[in-house]
Amino acid sequence: MAMVSEELKRVILETLKLDEWDLTDGTLASEVPGWDSLSHVTVVLAVEQQFGVRFASREVIGLRNIGDLQRLVDAKLGGARRA
Amino acid sequence: MAQVLAGHLRERGIGRGDVCALIIRHNPIVYPLYMACVRAGAIPAILAYPNARLHPDKFRQGLKGMSQRSGLDFILSERELEEVTRPLVESEGSTIRAMHFPLEWHAPDGSGAGLAGDRDGAPGRITADDPLLLQHSSGTTGLQKPVLLSHGAVQRHVETYGSVLRVGQDDRVVSWLPLYHDMGLIAAFHLPLALGVPTVQIDPFEWVSSPGILLEAISREKGSIVWLPNFAYDLMADRISEDRLHAVRLDTLRLVINCSEPVRQESHAKFVARFHPYGLRPRALSACYAMAETTFAVTQVPPETPPTVVAVDRIALQRGTVRPSAGDGPVRLCVSSGPCIPGCEIRVVDDDGRELGDNSVGEIAIRSASLFEGYRNYPEKTAEVLRDGWYYSGDYGFRRGHEYFVVGRKKDVIIVAGNNIYPEDVEAAVGSVPGVIPGRVVAFGEEHSELGSERVAVIAETTVADELAQRRLRLEIVRAAMAIDVSIARVYLVPARFLIKSSAGKPSRTASRDRVMSIGEADLWRPARAGGAV
Repeated sequence: MAMVSEELKRVILETLKLDEWDLTDGTLASEVPGWDSLSHVTVVLAVEQQFGVRFASREVIGLRNIGDLQRLVDAKLGGARRA
Repeated sequence: MAQVLAGHLRERGIGRGDVCALIIRHNPIVYPLYMACVRAGAIPAILAYPNARLHPDKFRQGLKGMSQRSGLDFILSERELEEVTRPLVESEGSTIRAMHFPLEWHAPDGSGAGLAGDRDGAPGRITADDPLLLQHSSGTTGLQKPVLLSHGAVQRHVETYGSVLRVGQDDRVVSWLPLYHDMGLIAAFHLPLALGVPTVQIDPFEWVSSPGILLEAISREKGSIVWLPNFAYDLMADRISEDRLHAVRLDTLRLVINCSEPVRQESHAKFVARFHPYGLRPRALSACYAMAETTFAVTQVPPETPPTVVAVDRIALQRGTVRPSAGDGPVRLCVSSGPCIPGCEIRVVDDDGRELGDNSVGEIAIRSASLFEGYRNYPEKTAEVLRDGWYYSGDYGFRRGHEYFVVGRKKDVIIVAGNNIYPEDVEAAVGSVPGVIPGRVVAFGEEHSELGSERVAVIAETTVADELAQRRLRLEIVRAAMAIDVSIARVYLVPARFLIKSSAGKPSRTASRDRVMSIGEADLWRPARAGGAV
């Protein structure tokens, strides 16, 4: 099970302009205020930018929760960098 | 496959005149299933599959409202919705006779594949006047207005509209639009179906997660016609990174039709600048004005003609007059939605119903060969909008020569990314949050230029004055709206007695919004915190 890194949490919260929100492995976008279908692509782009990675369309579409997003970031970074 | 599925429907007692709600996520089976309903003589109504955000009770309420209005007979859905929906089917006095799961019919993997061709769903006798489908004029719960359209109305409409667009055998429609919306159902599905051109259908949820897939599909399938709500132009211009575009070629596009939200010139300009290097021809950009009540299109900019843009004085426009900008005051760029298509007529009228001439802003009234006959089982709503054969759209606009420009709305409907949201729904949800003074909430749309659309804002009166507690209250307000699947982009908390009442005694949305804007967000609590009266 992936732990959600502080860096990922921070970029998500900053993009959604939230002061604080409990983001865990199983958190769904639909549970987080402001994270709707329209802001989703903005969050994904911000994450890509922050970590210097690129996701393919099908990878983005396959994301079910924040844990999946963390695992995708980790896989792209090859496990080399974790905050 | 539609024939086989029609047999399945008949076996389950579904027949002539039965209203069938189709609540199924993007799946190839939806299309033949829809046709099977028609073949069986039933009336399909495609409804939005509830997303994770929507509270199950709200979803149930919406369905219940629909069943009371439209006389819903059957629900065709996915097993996952059974638990939420079953109580509604079993409740006393329910019109809903049964719920079925077509994805499971003879398909162990749930794909619907392997349906044997041994059933005979032979079509019944269908005439042009028979009802074909039910579509709903808006998205939010409770206030959906069901529009019943006949075979004749839809057929006439897609033939006329198809000839305006000069649809030919080389055309290919590509769409991510949901089928519960008239643009997705009539323009991107019925039109290609009736005219025999291919249509490529993309899951709306997948598109919004990864907007580049529309462009990839256009490139791969040589798409020539797409319809898009205005926000999609901004989303695709701003949120697709360069390295996702390497395989994209848009040379085949001949019509990119902006529809279902006010058309913004800024969004068009941005879209062309971004995708011209990938083969997008500026002349492909087009616009249309459409609604469920007229089956779909009322006006359309002719192909290969750039939509007319007029720069007008914004202040004069707010007062109802169209005056070319002299270049010194605020300007609004108005984009033409084109002339009426054949069989449609528009009158721009004042509050007393008198027709206005060119360059005067008024309500758009429409007469159309494919006009609906009224909302199903909703005579009071029908009487409000349908008078002497004219449909009063609630949209504000003006005429200039033979072209029409849509600039706003008479009703307070908020259009977010092509979805109509009723402020009443948002106000009811927010009004029940502890800390908000009950009944003292207004919701309205705020222009969001980056999104190329509107976003929902609310003003709520509260007795909570402490800043930290207010921050928590704001979050609670946003969460309350999430339960009805509405995203609130901005919450203005104000002290008691801040909202301005209308003559009817209810808080006025426009006046209260103007008051917030004139005071400024930072100063809303200043007098109260300083101990003064507001």
